[in-house]
Amino acid sequence: MILGTIYFVTAALLPKPMIGDQVGPKLFPYIVGLAAVIAGAALFIQDKRPGKASKKAEFGFVKDKDLWIKILLTTVVGIVYGLVMDKLGFLIPTTLFMLFISTLINKGRLVQNLILALTFAVICYGVFGVALKLSLPRGFIESMLPF
Amino acid sequence: MQEIFANLAIGFQTAMTWVNIMWVFIGGVLGTVIGMLPGLGPATGVAILIPITFGMNPATALITLCALYYGAMFGGSRASIMINTPGDASAIVSCFDGYPMTKQGRAGAALAISAIASFIGGMIGMVFLIFLTQPIANGALKFGPPEMFSLMMFALVATITLSEGNLLKGAIAITFGLMLSTVGIDGLSGQIRFTYGLESLNDGIDFLVIIIGVYAVTEVYKNFKDIGLVHKFDSKHIGKVWITKDDWKRSLKPMLRNSPLGFIIGVLPGMGGTIATFMSYALEKNLSKHPEEFGKGAIEGLAAPEAANNACSCGAMVPLLTLGIPGSGTTAVMLGALMLLGVRPGPTLFTDHPEIAWGVIASMLIGNIILVVINLPLAIPLVQILRVPTRIMLPIIMGLALIGTYFLNYSSFDFVVVMIAAVIGFMFIKIGIPLPPLVLALILGGTTEQMFRNSMVLADGNPMIFIQKPISAVFLFIAAASLVYALIKNARKKKTA
Repeated sequence: MILGTIYFVTAALLPKPMIGDQVGPKLFPYIVGLAAVIAGAALFIQDKRPGKASKKAEFGFVKDKDLWIKILLTTVVGIVYGLVMDKLGFLIPTTLFMLFISTLINKGRLVQNLILALTFAVICYGVFGVALKLSLPRGFIESMLPF
Repeated sequence: MQEIFANLAIGFQTAMTWVNIMWVFIGGVLGTVIGMLPGLGPATGVAILIPITFGMNPATALITLCALYYGAMFGGSRASIMINTPGDASAIVSCFDGYPMTKQGRAGAALAISAIASFIGGMIGMVFLIFLTQPIANGALKFGPPEMFSLMMFALVATITLSEGNLLKGAIAITFGLMLSTVGIDGLSGQIRFTYGLESLNDGIDFLVIIIGVYAVTEVYKNFKDIGLVHKFDSKHIGKVWITKDDWKRSLKPMLRNSPLGFIIGVLPGMGGTIATFMSYALEKNLSKHPEEFGKGAIEGLAAPEAANNACSCGAMVPLLTLGIPGSGTTAVMLGALMLLGVRPGPTLFTDHPEIAWGVIASMLIGNIILVVINLPLAIPLVQILRVPTRIMLPIIMGLALIGTYFLNYSSFDFVVVMIAAVIGFMFIKIGIPLPPLVLALILGGTTEQMFRNSMVLADGNPMIFIQKPISAVFLFIAAASLVYALIKNARKKKTA
């Protein structure tokens, strides 16, 4: 597990400084990359030394499986929410997204969640779209509204 | 001296409009509410409420943000006192004596003293702030690229050496942040870097999106575990929100003592409210004639850290406003919000836009007064918000975070960034890599690189320029010294452990 985390850090950081082909824009990332590799390596050594790394660094993928599944779901839905917003307008995706999130967190209380999701979408639309006059994506519901 | 008062007068002219005062009030209440919620500190509060400042003029927006920040500081301790759950790390100490006071039926006095101490700490901090900013800004005007580069290096190094925690993990956070900051088109040469063919990355990664990801969304993830929690407390027994003469006598000196302490800690990069509150608590316990009462509801044990905390938040504004360098997670978020408004804090802010710089300072003074007014009579209705179960608050925060993300650039791609940032942020928390240094490095990265390259051009590629310029050399020396100090401290800890 520790190995995994260290590799994650170093591997994610290593390839970056290699790209970039001019002297100007290359030097700074190069130095940063070098520092990152040193820090990663040092952490690796520190963790490897027996007896010293008392606190095990773990993501807890296995132990908190439910938690990670929830996070994964939220991530996917969050991204989808952003993608459909331009097409469907603000109100529908926001209500659906809020319904999803609140169902995930607040299981089994459908009515409560529906009310929460709807109120949230409408209030946000009112505050940001109408009162503060920020431009929100307009779907077919929004274009029917007078404002 | 006269110059300072003249400037302050300009500031009050900017701040004292009805619209601005109204926003200070709204920002203060919203900030207090967010600050009260367990796990949500000032950084998160400012991050998710940035959208309400869109469409305002810069001065009003800044003033609202400061009120939010201040309000969150005031609110942070409410949750500690009422339900023994700190709103953020700097409110942990407030649990020590605040919650015992509530159990003894003295919640009213605890709420009152925390508001009063916050007010006094804030006011003393403001006085220091008013007299320090102009000289520092004037001095910083003379800085060239090498000095700025060294100063930023010092700020970055200090965030990991002065704060508690693992040095190496802090270093990893910083390098990771710097790397993220180099993504996109290079401003000097037009070279596209590290986008891996993704066109959406050409403009770079918007650090505000990352901030919302790691501060707001990650906070929600952190809270996923204890969603069943409903906080119960008895509001009938809060009592009158006021303090007795005896309470006042016991608290006055600790408040006065710890405000300057808090302020100094706030100015130093990397040492935020958490350290200020713990230090002032320890100090008072040592000075007290009856240290045995500490932890059992000693009012000075609540007053001292509260004063220190708010003075500290004033101190943190000094490097932010005068140098454009944030010293903590929250001020980093503030800086991000300012840059979004087209305001670039730094020494030139005081010469080019004195009305904004001093308007903020004046509004902090006003905000401080308004907040104590809000917090004394409205304390009881406001703490009722703590009853709202977490499972209802979390979706709302999540929704606000994503809507805020959308408003930043009107880009769907930002949703991808924010969600990924949140997952990475959560992983980092799990393995103990601190997030504030990462955010700080991400924000400062662009300027740091620019200063570095400008200096190199100035010196024809000779890196010795950073040592030849005396001011720059001093900053680098302090940075190196703090690193050595931290290493020695670590080594000693290991020996004793």
